[in-house]
Amino acid sequence: MKQCRALVRELEIVREDFYYLALEEPYLAATALPGQFLHLRVSHTLDPLLRRPFSVAGTSPQTGIVRLFFRRLGTGTQLLSCLRSGDLLDCLGPLGSPFLPAGKSPAVLLAGGTGIAPLMFLAQKLAAAGDEVCLFYGAATAAALLPLERFLPSGPRLYYVTADGSAGETGLLTGAFERALDKGLVPGELFACGPRPLLALLAEKNRRWGYPLQVSLEENMACGVGACQGCAVLVQKDGKKAYVPVCREGPVFYGDEVIW
Amino acid sequence: MPSLKVKIGPLVLETPLLTASGTFAFGEEYAPLMGMDGLGALVTKTITLLPRLGNPSPRLVETPAGMLNAIGLQNPGLKNFLRDELPRLRGWAVPLIVSIAGDTEEEYMTLAQALDGQTGIAALELNLSCPNVKKGGILFGTDAVLIESLVGRVRAAWSGPLIAKLTPNVTAIAELACAAARGGAQIVSAINTLRGMVIDIAARRPLLGNLAGGLSGPAIRPVAVKMVYDIYAATSLPVIGVGGIMNTDDALQFILAGAAAVAVGTANFVEPRTIPRIAVGLREYLEENGLHSPQELVGAAHRTQRT
Repeated sequence: MKQCRALVRELEIVREDFYYLALEEPYLAATALPGQFLHLRVSHTLDPLLRRPFSVAGTSPQTGIVRLFFRRLGTGTQLLSCLRSGDLLDCLGPLGSPFLPAGKSPAVLLAGGTGIAPLMFLAQKLAAAGDEVCLFYGAATAAALLPLERFLPSGPRLYYVTADGSAGETGLLTGAFERALDKGLVPGELFACGPRPLLALLAEKNRRWGYPLQVSLEENMACGVGACQGCAVLVQKDGKKAYVPVCREGPVFYGDEVIW
Repeated sequence: MPSLKVKIGPLVLETPLLTASGTFAFGEEYAPLMGMDGLGALVTKTITLLPRLGNPSPRLVETPAGMLNAIGLQNPGLKNFLRDELPRLRGWAVPLIVSIAGDTEEEYMTLAQALDGQTGIAALELNLSCPNVKKGGILFGTDAVLIESLVGRVRAAWSGPLIAKLTPNVTAIAELACAAARGGAQIVSAINTLRGMVIDIAARRPLLGNLAGGLSGPAIRPVAVKMVYDIYAATSLPVIGVGGIMNTDDALQFILAGAAAVAVGTANFVEPRTIPRIAVGLREYLEENGLHSPQELVGAAHRTQRT
């Protein structure tokens, strides 16, 4: 983990308010692992004050590129959306504990909304290692889905799901996944990221299925390094309940370790 | 070459720059990022007698030029602190100030006694922003009688330098600094966070899990500067100024108002190298102004006539 200044190489609107940001920073590109995040200073003034965490969505170590996606939602992401190629961005990273694939094939990745970012990176790594990957990706509408073909190597089997049926299967991500299970999909292990209700539902259903499940959580963060204890999540640890910082003990947790 | 070395009551520190309690944990998170350069003393997160689970999330929310937090004094408790954290903290080669809090006077005293026998602790800081369970939950730090009594009892249990960290959620903070002095505190630290609340308008309820939280960051700086100014005018106790310090100029404001040292809190989250940068900036300021020590500036704002 280091504090570095990354060079903005590319900033592009991909869908609606979804942005793709390519940063050049060789150390980050060489060391970041799927599930880890960067803590970005989005402003040089006092408002907004705090850094913003973003999951790494991919790296190219040869060219020193780190890829991020973000949705323009508040002041911080609004400022990020105004970056220009050639700007320097103050980053802390890579931070947090990564996904730990056990190599059980096929790996099934379940992404809801912006939760796609860390799973895109994981899919990239697993596919590069020759592992079989199924990626379920859900959003409200087709317009909110990122064009994965553009950012992912061929390899992962893609299942799109939208709430309104405008692309892929209609309904909930968990519903589409359950239908695939019914049709004979036998996951080796599960990795998920998305809105907390989705992850809670998945963890609940998985108590019956019993697949190894890792989830990446999101919380409001201040320090990003585990000092302030602000981004706490309640977990079961050595048989006891404890709040642990999402930024350091997570953002990736085992599904049965989180108290939902 | 000016020196940043300062004497704050019985404490002698290489620089007048401290970490604010609760913003630096026990040091290991920030060591790789700042290397402890420029740090005069490390103030730990607050320790209580028994481990505390802390408050439900969300525990923090950003506010204009600041943040609200409600961590709930999550900490491993005295026993685990002594076993796991203190040995590591001794390794940082900067003076260590341990912050303590309790629900009762007896808890503070038990903590003070247990820490009194330990090597490597430069000072004790009493976090007074805690409810006194035996007095119907009134905060120790909001009542002069409670402060004097508590500080006096801890004074008897702890032989080293004693700091009282004051809460700003009071009418006249200077009177409370005087009460801490009467009780036997040798240094006061001001200020802790200001009480605040953010409402989640979609959910139509307070956003934080604890409902209310403590406001910190540059938003509170003018309040803190005024309180340090008032305390300096009312007592001879040295003051550690805390509240929204982001850079050298901010630190200078506190020193000129009367702070013998300053503590950096929220700024660590934004820029981990804030303290080393202020150390460089302070030296430059002293050099440019032909001064030898920051001590020459302490309280100068009280003495400089408007022309």
